[in-house]
Amino acid sequence: MIKRSFFTLSQPGLIYDLVEPDPKEPVSIPIPPNLILLLNEPIANTRQALIKKGAAVEKGEKLCLYNDSTEYTISPVTGIITAIDSYADVFGKISTYLVINNDQSQTSQTDSAAYDLKDDITSADQYLRTLPGAPPLKALARDDVKINTIVITGADSDLLSTTSQYVMLKSWEMLKEGARVLKTITKIPKICITIPENSNIQGGLDSIVLFKTASKYPSNLPAMVLKDHLNMVLPAGKTPEDLGVCFICAEAVVSLAKAYKKKSAEFEKILTVTGKKGTRYRAKATIGTPLHKVFKAFGIRINDQDRIIIGGPMRGFSTFTHNHPVQPDMDTIVIQSSDIIPEISDYPCVNCGKCLRICPANVPVNILVRYLEADQYEEAADKYDLDSCIECGLCSYVCTAKIPLFQYIQLGKNELLKLRAEV
Amino acid sequence: MNNNKLTVSHAPFWHDGDSLFQMNLNIMIATLPAVIFGIIQFGTPAVGVLALSLSSAMVWELIMNVISKKKITIGDLDSAVIGLLFGMMLPATSPWWLVITGTFVAVIIGKMIFGGIGANPFNPVLMGMAFLMLSWKVFFDFDAAYVNYEFNFTALAPLAALKFQGAQAVAELFPLGDLIMGKQVGAIGSTFGLGIIIGGIYLILRGYIRWEIPVSFIVGIIVTALCFSMANPDIYAGPGIHLFSGYTLIGAFFLATENSSSPSNRIPMLLYGFFAAVMIILMRNIGVYADGTILAILLLNVVNPLIDTIRPKALGKGVNNA
Repeated sequence: MIKRSFFTLSQPGLIYDLVEPDPKEPVSIPIPPNLILLLNEPIANTRQALIKKGAAVEKGEKLCLYNDSTEYTISPVTGIITAIDSYADVFGKISTYLVINNDQSQTSQTDSAAYDLKDDITSADQYLRTLPGAPPLKALARDDVKINTIVITGADSDLLSTTSQYVMLKSWEMLKEGARVLKTITKIPKICITIPENSNIQGGLDSIVLFKTASKYPSNLPAMVLKDHLNMVLPAGKTPEDLGVCFICAEAVVSLAKAYKKKSAEFEKILTVTGKKGTRYRAKATIGTPLHKVFKAFGIRINDQDRIIIGGPMRGFSTFTHNHPVQPDMDTIVIQSSDIIPEISDYPCVNCGKCLRICPANVPVNILVRYLEADQYEEAADKYDLDSCIECGLCSYVCTAKIPLFQYIQLGKNELLKLRAEV
Repeated sequence: MNNNKLTVSHAPFWHDGDSLFQMNLNIMIATLPAVIFGIIQFGTPAVGVLALSLSSAMVWELIMNVISKKKITIGDLDSAVIGLLFGMMLPATSPWWLVITGTFVAVIIGKMIFGGIGANPFNPVLMGMAFLMLSWKVFFDFDAAYVNYEFNFTALAPLAALKFQGAQAVAELFPLGDLIMGKQVGAIGSTFGLGIIIGGIYLILRGYIRWEIPVSFIVGIIVTALCFSMANPDIYAGPGIHLFSGYTLIGAFFLATENSSSPSNRIPMLLYGFFAAVMIILMRNIGVYADGTILAILLLNVVNPLIDTIRPKALGKGVNNA
């Protein structure tokens, strides 16, 4: 954990991690007997689902709940579905999880089902959404927004993660191939890539525009990339897609290239795992692998009250179970020992102003939090810029009173969405 | 398979390790040069006043916590800081009841009834001081307070002397070097200008106070005093004596910077510090009080919520297209 420096006349700087110059091959996690897949759609009790318990699935088979479902997942193994149930995420959003019992005799040999991939975005969106890196094909295939720029994020957006950089370093040619594929299927001419400014990654770029991002957090977040490199200001409450910019991580581009080459799906996700003492490991695990298998491979022991953080220390989320599966968009896992978990408090804001001076979006967090504590979400958005927050988490990181500011902000945004949906 | 109970909470999962306890402890450390000098200068009575002030402030908060059935909050040292600064602003000869009454007003009326830490619209120390100054003016006559002491320098309170004798007479009585090195009578912790500046710079470097407030405050004192002095040098003293006497420096580094009652955006902080200083000089030169620091900062506390609305536009706010 990074602590405050003794002299803090300048603001504390959280520096993005760089990938080591000559990284080792990732440790391959064997495909476990049971895999867990998440499907971003709730099960309705009233309808007959297409997927049934006990049904056999093929490697690469597309699984969706109903005939009219837009969400799907791809089975990474040949086997049998042994359980289907509901899963609630951090914000209480209900989705579905499937447990697939892996048919050990077949998996390693069988090839994934072949897809009919044409050079258009619709056919890619049909099969490739759950590729490692989770390419935002759904957003690219949307008719209502016109995307005119694609930004490949080679710089990892959260601290401690080096997955994207590793992928770039190891598969530069595939990355360029992926960018060509993207150009062909989306017909979008402008493709850019973000690379950390002091990284040693080198290679020809063809027609890709290079953005060197600053080493200080949060310069790799989409809103900051838009501001610093594309000269666009993300309007409050809008997404980059609304501005015609789509962000795609380097790993997704590489797996797109592989998928188009083989005409079938990829399932091996690269993970950066940070152990309790800060040791960094890199793993290659099949999507759906429960996390405890990953920990076992590195000899990481999880004790009571420890914290498993998925997605980085600033913007990630913590899970309540060891069985949380490896997911397509999971770049990093951090394990925090119970004795270094910082406490939070119910103290009121003392108005020291550290949050608003560190906020990259100029949100008056000290005033905003008073409204959020009082559940006044609409005033918070109208007068105190709740929508402008780019969700970097720096305010909570520096809060002297240890108020969970970022939690208040995300709760506020979530509640506001519900309120606006009702109107 | 093991089934440990994991800790689940919201991002971010790191913290810079700072806390209110750390912040207040550092403020107390920063007062040490001035406090130690005050104790050497004014002897055991000063220790008595400081100790009583600090402890009574904490006891008042404890009593209020118990009565209001709230969590005991004295551990954050906020009341300790109030008590310590309060003691530093009193003459060493203050009677015990004056100290206890003052800390009562400061902690209970200044802070606790508004909801405790962070909720006070005025600086609690100044609330207490203003109450005492208006009620028992006689105890703040520093000339009378130290009548039984023997000093090896002019035992006159510089600002009172300035008020009644004019700038011309005072200029020879108080060389600037003496004032900076604490050779003047005054409150326990306010005489040693150099010590207060060292403490203040320590706090600025540690990031516990914002540099904008003390800097604009001092600039305000210098500019305003200089204007007056140039207009009529016989009556109005130059910036030197204003800066290094009375509560000016303790006001600049410790009082005006109190978190809850001061602005936190940059331009408002500069305005706040500057105008507080302007008010001080106006009160000293035109008003009836010898030292206007307390009332001037209280006045700016009132304006604080208003000027703190001057703030930079948030990202993407008011942008219709891009």
